[in-house]
Amino acid sequence: MLQLILFNVFNGLIIGAFYVLLALGLSMILNLSNVINFAHGNFLALGGYLAYVLIPYVGFWPSLLIAPLLTAAIGFIIERTMVRRVYGRDPVYSLLLTFGLAFMIEDACRYIWGVNGLPLTTPSSISQPLSSTFFFITAYRLFMVAIVIVVVAGLFAFLRYSRMGMRIRAGVLDLDTVSALGVNVKLLRSLNFAVGIFLAGLAGVLAGGQIGLNPNMGDSLLLPSFIAIIVGGFGSLTGTLAGGLLIGVTSAITAVFYPSAQQAVVYALMILVLLVRPQGLLGEEGLVI
Amino acid sequence: MNAIEAEGLHTYYGKSHILHGVSLLVEEGKLTTLLGRNGAGKTTTMRSLMGLTPPREGSVRFFGTKTTHWPPFRIAALGVGYVPEGRRIFPNLSVEENLKVPLERRGPWSIPRIYKLFPPLAERRNNRGRQLSGGEQEMLSIARALLINPKILILDEPSQGLAPLVVRDVFRIVSEMRDEGISVLLVEQNARMSLEIADFAYVLDDGAIVHAGPAAELARDEARIEALAGATAEGWEERVPAA
Repeated sequence: MLQLILFNVFNGLIIGAFYVLLALGLSMILNLSNVINFAHGNFLALGGYLAYVLIPYVGFWPSLLIAPLLTAAIGFIIERTMVRRVYGRDPVYSLLLTFGLAFMIEDACRYIWGVNGLPLTTPSSISQPLSSTFFFITAYRLFMVAIVIVVVAGLFAFLRYSRMGMRIRAGVLDLDTVSALGVNVKLLRSLNFAVGIFLAGLAGVLAGGQIGLNPNMGDSLLLPSFIAIIVGGFGSLTGTLAGGLLIGVTSAITAVFYPSAQQAVVYALMILVLLVRPQGLLGEEGLVI
Repeated sequence: MNAIEAEGLHTYYGKSHILHGVSLLVEEGKLTTLLGRNGAGKTTTMRSLMGLTPPREGSVRFFGTKTTHWPPFRIAALGVGYVPEGRRIFPNLSVEENLKVPLERRGPWSIPRIYKLFPPLAERRNNRGRQLSGGEQEMLSIARALLINPKILILDEPSQGLAPLVVRDVFRIVSEMRDEGISVLLVEQNARMSLEIADFAYVLDDGAIVHAGPAAELARDEARIEALAGATAEGWEERVPAA
């Protein structure tokens, strides 16, 4: 029993880590540009497929970096050509646009790589279980958790200590004033968007190694990521981090005792948080890290 | 060359027509003040100059460069330091972080020099913006504008909500900036104190310039200053023929 619970907690942390990567990117884009990016899960899939293409040429490790960077570059171009046109307009425009983008990216993936799932080969050195008792702890999963920790720590350090990070945090509350202080806020928003998409692309490569690739692999991760933002509190990236892990683990533990409630518990958790603390666990005015 | 040349600005908020053809000049190296009562359109004029609320008609030039329809960051990058109404410091950032937000243009201003000019900011460098007093926030807002190493400083009601002693300090610093060679456009409701330090004065009422002249001349006209203080309900226009 203990082993089963541990297994599920660990699984929950892994799923939660995906939620965190997606939710942090969504959150950054939402905070600075007021755009809810419904195509975020499709950027995740795109990242996975790009890694699939790259691995035969450059191997797994370089692909882990290059595929998310390429995804981010595509995100950058899409922001410059399409997303920026809806800034400052009725939110309906951005919802329609990103919904449309979601379908376009999904169909592009289906057109190029086919309807059927594809495997993403991970190096054999990290695919073996580490012990027979804790068979579920493969080196790949540990490694995934490590990558997510490093990337999230890096993101937080970037926002905390770099000038660009400070400008992003300032812009979340008052982009006009940041602009009046001479900062190119158009470029700031594009780069911020690209950073968010990078995180989605990275999640795609990692998820691909775990569950394989298919054109709508991001769909099931996207909604819980939104909930992670709500549970954690708008504007708080630490909250988003906590929210992602919390719903991942809650859902996985529920699966042990009452499997059919595995999905519902996530929404129940959201309702509970909204009733008790409507601003979310760590919600506060402004971007706090 | 003039620091600012604005001609015939017509600015709207949605359908409300706020500025009705505002024209003004700010000479280089001079301290020009724009006075007017609440709701006269002073802040809208500043926002029009900065590109934050672009005018529908008219043109703006900074140092001879036409900036009409430019985004604010391009205008600021010409060397325009802007201290917005209500200070607009970033409440979620520390004092030091607030100072790192502005564009880094080359020039004499650096964070250590700012800390020398405003010692309270140095003491509170790790405090968040929202923890500062009104006077400290005003200093921070001015400091931020200085850090882009401006050729012109635009201040929108820096005295608002400050204790009289603090206002003295702020005005002293503003006139020191002029003495350093920075052109200044000072928007104020506090006519008496602005006229003490200003070289040239404009008066705005109902979205139009109703007076332009040397500051010293306006300072001697008690009746007009009374009207500006808003103590009387009479309109500015009625006072003009009397002058």
